[in-house]
Amino acid sequence: MRILRGPLPWLLLLLVVATVGMPATKPLFHAMFPALDRPMYEQDSFTALMLAHLWLAGVASLVATIVGVALGIFVTRPAGAEFRGMVETVAAMGQTFPPVAVLAIAVPVMGFGESPALIALALYGLLPIVRNTITGIETVPADTREAALGIGMSRFQMLARIELPLAAPIIVAGIRTSVIVNVGTAAIASTVGAKTLGSPIILGLSGSNTAYVLQGAILLALLAILLDVAFERLAMWLGGWRRPA
Amino acid sequence: MTDAPPIIQLDHVSKIYGGVRAVDDVSLSVAHGTFLAIIGPSGCGKSTTIRLINRLIEHDEGSIRISGEEIRSFREETLRRRMGYVIQSGGLFPHWTVERNIATVPVLLGWKPERIRDRVTELLALLQLDANRFRKAYPHRLSGGQQQRVGIARALAADPDVLLMDEPFSALDPITRNALQASLARIHKETGKTIVFVTHDMDEALRLATQVAVMDRGHIVQLGTPRELLHAPANDFVRGFLGAEDRGLRLLAIETAASRMRPVNGLAAETPAIAAGSDLRQALSEMLATGQHALRVEEAGRVVGELYLDDLVRL
Repeated sequence: MRILRGPLPWLLLLLVVATVGMPATKPLFHAMFPALDRPMYEQDSFTALMLAHLWLAGVASLVATIVGVALGIFVTRPAGAEFRGMVETVAAMGQTFPPVAVLAIAVPVMGFGESPALIALALYGLLPIVRNTITGIETVPADTREAALGIGMSRFQMLARIELPLAAPIIVAGIRTSVIVNVGTAAIASTVGAKTLGSPIILGLSGSNTAYVLQGAILLALLAILLDVAFERLAMWLGGWRRPA
Repeated sequence: MTDAPPIIQLDHVSKIYGGVRAVDDVSLSVAHGTFLAIIGPSGCGKSTTIRLINRLIEHDEGSIRISGEEIRSFREETLRRRMGYVIQSGGLFPHWTVERNIATVPVLLGWKPERIRDRVTELLALLQLDANRFRKAYPHRLSGGQQQRVGIARALAADPDVLLMDEPFSALDPITRNALQASLARIHKETGKTIVFVTHDMDEALRLATQVAVMDRGHIVQLGTPRELLHAPANDFVRGFLGAEDRGLRLLAIETAASRMRPVNGLAAETPAIAAGSDLRQALSEMLATGQHALRVEEAGRVVGELYLDDLVRL
């Protein structure tokens, strides 16, 4: 079992145990924060918060990935080349707005809840993916492209078999940035009523309950580290042909 | 020869870039099995011409036919899969093994895995690459010469009618280039493929080609066998390109020792010997280096003839 040798399965195990077992650490938090009446966040189960957080960040990242890669591919085709400047500008604007501002604008339009959060996160995660897809496809050498067409690949075959596989490590690096940012930013989405790991943090901050903040932050940090390691793994696997034999 | 149409036929073909005629009214007829070298200085239109044939560039005027059929009557991909294409840098796909690279066109054509496997084995042998060592290797582990061998194998994989090669050996060191030229000459002899080969190296063209087309500013200035070019250059441009002072030596380079030797007539056993397949330029060099007027000619370890300095000088 090669996969067990890396830190990935152990991190996953740690995250699950920490999420499910958080309520069991109540005595510990009592001891650490004797001044607090209720040192354990109990409004929602941590498992439910974790799943809601994953859902929100996951859907937003998925949308950002699909839209971002599609846009990146489109503007590197001859037909879409003229839209490239516009796409890059719009994607950059999406990231210039702080996510809190996007949330604030989205709420009056869409109401409180998950929807404004999803929009804000997807928009915010778009830029690194669009940018890296363009860069990734452009780093494919011109002679590789010429050879692909010259020996008889169609443009679509060249994209699917040559350009995307060669660009994959760079595209995945963009998705990684986007996902990590989204996981962190999703915490802020609890200010507009979405249930996330940010809920105990926000409640703790507003009510001066450091224990709540700590509980949310520990799980959030573990999740971010786990995802980062997972992407590291994926990048190594995608670039496997680069390794010396 | 039969009445079959020439395998490649260009009629009054031109390509215009922003008013400049990169290829200007070129007509060319390539018979089956020809090794045609297109040679000329940078920017003469030789690479453009070869790309017009496989439609990487579309021609603006004239017509191009393959075995009698207009190239625009094919889908681009279909046309290109009938023609092997080799470029200067090799252009191997870095994320694919040597085997997968060579199998590119057979996979596109939907061959069965075992047929592809056998074909790859056959091609690795043809290109003198050790299958055990190279089959599963990635291109970045290969030397430039090995990469170019794989590039040629990939181009030959689906047994195309024509092999188009754009300065395939220009980026290689002289020793590797020499070895690859020898391999290509052997492959041409063994497979009888029609080859169109772009180069700026006159020695390479004269050594390999059965027909040489000299291009200058979009025109074909002269088309002929290496011998015809060397004996009767059409104008000063061709003469200059052949290298005015090297012309005699180049004439020697296109003939073998076997073609001019005399029957064995008792040259002393210590007289230096050369192989029957060596060209006359190597023979002359050997005479100069050893200070001899005559050489023994050997084939498979046996003396088969004698070659005298006088034999070289006669036209």
